[in-house]
Amino acid sequence: MSTQVATLGEAHPRQYHGLLDWLTTTDHKKIGIMYLVFALINGWFGGSLAGLIRLNLYNPDWHIISPALYNQLMTMHATIMIFLVLMTSFAGLGNYLVPLMIGARDMAFPKLNAFSFWIMIPAALMLYGSFFIAGGAAQGGWWSYPPLSSLQYAPGHGEDLWILAVILLGIGSIMGAINFLVTIIDMRAPGMSWTKLPLFVWSWLVTAWMLLLALPVLSGAMIMLLSDRWLSTGFYRPALGGDPLLYQHLFWFFGHPEVYIMILPGFGMLSHIIPAMSRKKVFGYKGMMVALWAIGVIGFMVWAHHMFTAGISGAARMWFSMASMAISVPTGVKIYSWLASAWGGVIRFTTAMKFALGFIFTFVIGGLSGLMLAVVPFDIQVHNTYFVVAHFHYVLVGGSVMTLFAGIYFWFPKITGRMLSEKMGSWVFWLFFIGMNWVFMPMHLLGIDGMSRRVATYRPEFKPMNQFISEGFIFMLIAGLLFTYSILKALTQPKDAPDDPWDTQAIERSLEWETASPPPAYNFAEIPQIR
Amino acid sequence: MEPTPLTTSSTLTSGALAAKPAGAAAHLDPHLHAPVPSFWPILLAGGIGAVFFLVFLVYLGVPLAGVLLAAAALYSLVAAAGWANTIAVERRLMDRLQTQKDLTRGFFFFLASEAMIFFAYFEYIYYTRFTGSVWPPAGMPKLETSLPAVATLILVGSSFTLNFAVKAFLRGKQAAAKNWMLLTIAMGIVFLGFQGFEWGYLNGVMSFTVTTGAFSSAYFIMTGFHGAHVTVGLLMLSLVYWRMEKGEYNRDYHMSLMAAEYYWHFVDIVWILLFFTLYLF
Repeated sequence: MSTQVATLGEAHPRQYHGLLDWLTTTDHKKIGIMYLVFALINGWFGGSLAGLIRLNLYNPDWHIISPALYNQLMTMHATIMIFLVLMTSFAGLGNYLVPLMIGARDMAFPKLNAFSFWIMIPAALMLYGSFFIAGGAAQGGWWSYPPLSSLQYAPGHGEDLWILAVILLGIGSIMGAINFLVTIIDMRAPGMSWTKLPLFVWSWLVTAWMLLLALPVLSGAMIMLLSDRWLSTGFYRPALGGDPLLYQHLFWFFGHPEVYIMILPGFGMLSHIIPAMSRKKVFGYKGMMVALWAIGVIGFMVWAHHMFTAGISGAARMWFSMASMAISVPTGVKIYSWLASAWGGVIRFTTAMKFALGFIFTFVIGGLSGLMLAVVPFDIQVHNTYFVVAHFHYVLVGGSVMTLFAGIYFWFPKITGRMLSEKMGSWVFWLFFIGMNWVFMPMHLLGIDGMSRRVATYRPEFKPMNQFISEGFIFMLIAGLLFTYSILKALTQPKDAPDDPWDTQAIERSLEWETASPPPAYNFAEIPQIR
Repeated sequence: MEPTPLTTSSTLTSGALAAKPAGAAAHLDPHLHAPVPSFWPILLAGGIGAVFFLVFLVYLGVPLAGVLLAAAALYSLVAAAGWANTIAVERRLMDRLQTQKDLTRGFFFFLASEAMIFFAYFEYIYYTRFTGSVWPPAGMPKLETSLPAVATLILVGSSFTLNFAVKAFLRGKQAAAKNWMLLTIAMGIVFLGFQGFEWGYLNGVMSFTVTTGAFSSAYFIMTGFHGAHVTVGLLMLSLVYWRMEKGEYNRDYHMSLMAAEYYWHFVDIVWILLFFTLYLF
């Protein structure tokens, strides 16, 4: 093997070192690592904004943060978490793992891959920079509805920078999606038929389709929003015959597929982690595959359930309500398949498995509150309250973030060649799991009681519950600190992880474990043959 | 459209490296290709980021921002050209048929994303039309259809001439292919001329501007966006013509010719829908 390694290594004498190596790399693994590091850094920024929000809400009368700044923090917290943390870290893991799992040497377009990453940097600079200009950052929430985002109500230039940054991020995501699609379709190792494709790769195939079709609509909506602000066009201005409601349609036509974009790769990861940690093959492979596609397709037909109170017709309400409920069927198929994958297995309660099982608990809660919100009368009652905040944090934190933790703990040995401390991992899990339920569970009650979301203060009777919630945030904060410390500590240790640290190959073959930890630049000395 | 027989080459069916002769032969397989480092992606990303930020500064009216914007745009074009050149050079080391297959597929996905941007605008215009209380909206002139209809015929015709060019090329008739190609480019330019005249007429004579109302906003953004695509299509066709002139294509390797053709047809189809939506419907 070592001789082949040498031959391939010599094939490309042009090689940079140190920082230049990272700046010029087109290696999907290095790009994946950059995505993940970038996501972690942004996670700290986005999480800090959440901390400031919780600090301000500790007492309705403190007003440590002005209402205008509160709006900025809230808007940027969501924007950062969605675009720069969740999408980014899934893109990172996808970049790292998809070529390995399909037995390829790289993505189909390695340079485009690097471009997709680097285009995020100017976007992030514009987003963070907008805090420091006159008028501050955007204040219109991550969905930035007009007229709230119109020149009249958002005269500051933070909104302009926000729109430009979102268009830039969209370009990167679309290019990334094209890359994933071509890679998965064209670059599979010989013998890897569609029904032998690992579920994480399937999940990324569906995700890439959704990115490809949803992101351009956001870009279109953003261009119209910007031209309303800059050129005084009338797209969303009723005075000129435009309709602000249309923005909501366009935005959520992107926005709802977006929430599946942020969870499907996580679903894919669980379909590897749970069977591996149960020493069983995944239950219902084909059902899982069909469920992914069902979610991907129905996910495009439910967008207006975000707009039940915005003035859409009764028939539309009925359709979008039913379609939203229908999504719970393929999601349920997945939940049951994961449970069946673990059922009767020899379960190893590693940190990855704890996060995976914890995910099932929290995601089912988020799914159930989602079903409640799909019921129009209930939605009208709790619309724009903390119930909605509780719901989407259960699916994004209890869903996406938990799968990300699970995935990082599972594949960290492959990526770095080092094991993360399981002892610290256990602490990270329990602190995070308790903290997130502590923070978000009471928000259901606050919402039903009528506490409005996106407001810097609240009625005095909500004070005890809000203080309780803010205290819970400390648990999540410590979990985050410990997680970061754990990664940094592991990186100082010698590379001692075996190729297949979880001993998965005996049960179900997945190609990433067949190469070294970390894999060499060319991934496989011989392209694996699948039988 | 697939290039012929030997396509099912070694790429996907190839086995172990050990079974292959070492050295040059190994490079034929893209799957054996370790990634080559490149400065172009980060340079282009920086350029596009700068263009976006400078557009913002131009909007703010910052002095010199316009000059810098032009410089940044030029720089981005250079970076993109450098990137394309690197790929052309590196491709000689790789399995070109496989690369072309990947690029063609990627290009179709790109067209799908383009179609979705137009979809957003079409959704806008039909939504406004069917939910708004008054149609046509106040201030909307009766759009004259005869000139745009001629422009439409020219653009549709250019799709056919381009098709003739490609067919001639595939039959090995290089001279005919180049002539048809030139005619296509000319027709595209004439179409843009019609568009420019139409814009000038509407803006100047009819006082129908972007700020007249929702319909005019949509009219200008849709035709403008389409016009930008025609321009990009013309650039692609010109590049293809230049490469034909240099004799860089052959029967098996002409991916950029096909890409330019599909792009042009795409732009044409979008225009037919636009013409129907904005002028006739």
